[in-house]
Amino acid sequence: MKLRSLVVLSVAFAAMALGACSRRQPPPAPAQQVDDEAARRAEEERRRAEEERRRAEEAARRRAEEEARRAAAEARSILTEMVHFDFDRSDIRPDARETLQRKVAVLRANPGVTLAIEGHADERGSVEYNIALGLRRANAVKDYLVGFGLDASRFETQTFGESRPLDPASNEAAWARNRRAEFRITGGGDNLVLPQTSQ
Amino acid sequence: MRWLLAGMAVLALATPVAAQRQDTTRLPTGVRLDVFYNTMSRPLVAVRPFAAPPEAAAVAEQVHAIIEQDLDYSDRFVIAEVPEALKAGPVTLGAWNDLGVVFLVTAEVEPFGDAYMVRLALHDVPFGSLKEIQAFRVPPPSDGGFRMAIHALADELVRWMTGQPGMAASRIAFVRPRRGGGEELVVVDSDGENPERVANADLIVSPAWSPDGKRLAYAAMVGGAWQIAERNLETGESHTVVRAPSGAVAATPTYTPSGDRLVFAMLYGNASEFHEYDVARRCCMRRLTRSPGVDISPTFSPDGARLAFNSNRIGSPQIYIMPAEGGQATLLSPYVYGEGSYYTSPDWSPTGTKIAFHGKSRGGWFQIMVADAANVGAPVSQVTQEGENEDPSWAPDGRHLVYTSVRASGQGLYVVDTFTGRERQVLSLAGAKVPDWSPTLRRAAEFAMAGR
Repeated sequence: MKLRSLVVLSVAFAAMALGACSRRQPPPAPAQQVDDEAARRAEEERRRAEEERRRAEEAARRRAEEEARRAAAEARSILTEMVHFDFDRSDIRPDARETLQRKVAVLRANPGVTLAIEGHADERGSVEYNIALGLRRANAVKDYLVGFGLDASRFETQTFGESRPLDPASNEAAWARNRRAEFRITGGGDNLVLPQTSQ
Repeated sequence: MRWLLAGMAVLALATPVAAQRQDTTRLPTGVRLDVFYNTMSRPLVAVRPFAAPPEAAAVAEQVHAIIEQDLDYSDRFVIAEVPEALKAGPVTLGAWNDLGVVFLVTAEVEPFGDAYMVRLALHDVPFGSLKEIQAFRVPPPSDGGFRMAIHALADELVRWMTGQPGMAASRIAFVRPRRGGGEELVVVDSDGENPERVANADLIVSPAWSPDGKRLAYAAMVGGAWQIAERNLETGESHTVVRAPSGAVAATPTYTPSGDRLVFAMLYGNASEFHEYDVARRCCMRRLTRSPGVDISPTFSPDGARLAFNSNRIGSPQIYIMPAEGGQATLLSPYVYGEGSYYTSPDWSPTGTKIAFHGKSRGGWFQIMVADAANVGAPVSQVTQEGENEDPSWAPDGRHLVYTSVRASGQGLYVVDTFTGRERQVLSLAGAKVPDWSPTLRRAAEFAMAGR
């Protein structure tokens, strides 16, 4: 009897112990809590995706901007690339024709652009005759461009004669560089685009 | 001419002076040359130190230095060294005669109120006589007109000795780069002294003196637009003669010999015109010519009957002469087909007989040349040999030319005596361009005192 009651007591204690243990364990998660967690994760995912999309867009925009900038810079460099002349000549040389034809395409793609064409001469010959020669060079370039159907009012001509050499040296190479027409964009120079065909 | 014979006799003893720089190997072919070095006609002249009381000694020394240098620069004389024994004391023409001196210049300089009196004397040594003596009242050295007054006395001595005009009392206008950008029009005395800024602009070319020496016309680019302006050097007043339309250039003004009108070139991209404007009345613009090429740099004969100018009508720039009222133009420069000859910047001499220009042929260097205005087709003289020489302008004596030069020994403004070939640098200056020599600005008569 004594032994049986001891066993019962032990069992009771064990049960109590078990009961105590059971109470210390976390309660099973409620259904509501499970839903919140999923939403949070989804939101995070969405944000990440959004951020990625935004970044991609930004990168694309930057690329496009970069591309536009590059195109504008190239268009600008085509427009301002100088052309050169032979001694005491104002006729357009074959190499200058190519340069000027590239300008024609850019000028057509950018109808708002206006240009100042500045004629220069090398140091040889009279200062005054070279002023006339510079003007004739600028005018020959203008005539060539206008010959492609561009509006003459988009161009103004100027001469500096021999007063502004690119290369102050007195040798054939310097003189060849200095016999030139330079181009300055005087209007419509923002947001230049390249002609479609050349992209 | 009597001194000439004496001079020839003594010049055998004198040091050979004229530079013998005729280097025929450098001459471009196709140019017919007639360079003459008339060195035998330069008599020996001595300018004795000028006598002065102590208070005028420094001024006397300055006056002496200017006159002696002017006589040297006139290229008509050989200036003698003055021996110590002959520097002061009574004038003993016999001693000077022993030295081979043909003309002796002596002077006394004394204070005269707030000015100075210079009593100049010219002795004809071989004939043992006093040739001329005259007293002049000149401003003190502190006065801006001092040097020009002394130059006028030097010119008077030249006239006494040769009967010909001098060129010391004159100035040279030219253009140089300006510090900080742009260009400025500057005027200096014939000896390079007294630089004076007259105008500035983005670009300036073609300064031109009025025949009375009181005004300067020039072409300038101001804010991208070309114009011709005229400045009165006495009053400092300036006005715009003409503004070129956009895309055109107004350039190379020149005065008619009467001085009341300006003729200039209006350049368009594919044509050019000469226009005339009445600067006296400031009106009456009139077109004289029109050409499909570049017609530029008009210059009048002193009688106003003819005009020389530069034109590329045959494909390269050449010099032509035509009647001032229009008509047939005659080729003056020594053009030879196929030799790339190139001649520009004509200037008609004040004596009327010569036209100077610069140019080259067959890829040679640009040199200063002189053609006979009365004898088109006659040989052209090349008066420079060294380096690149451009834009000649005649001195009022009709024998010296100023021009720009770039050569191994230097660059700047140079002067050549077309009679002897003697050359000198007036100003050492990189970038000096388009010089124009004034007429005579002061005359000794303006300073002459009554009596002796």
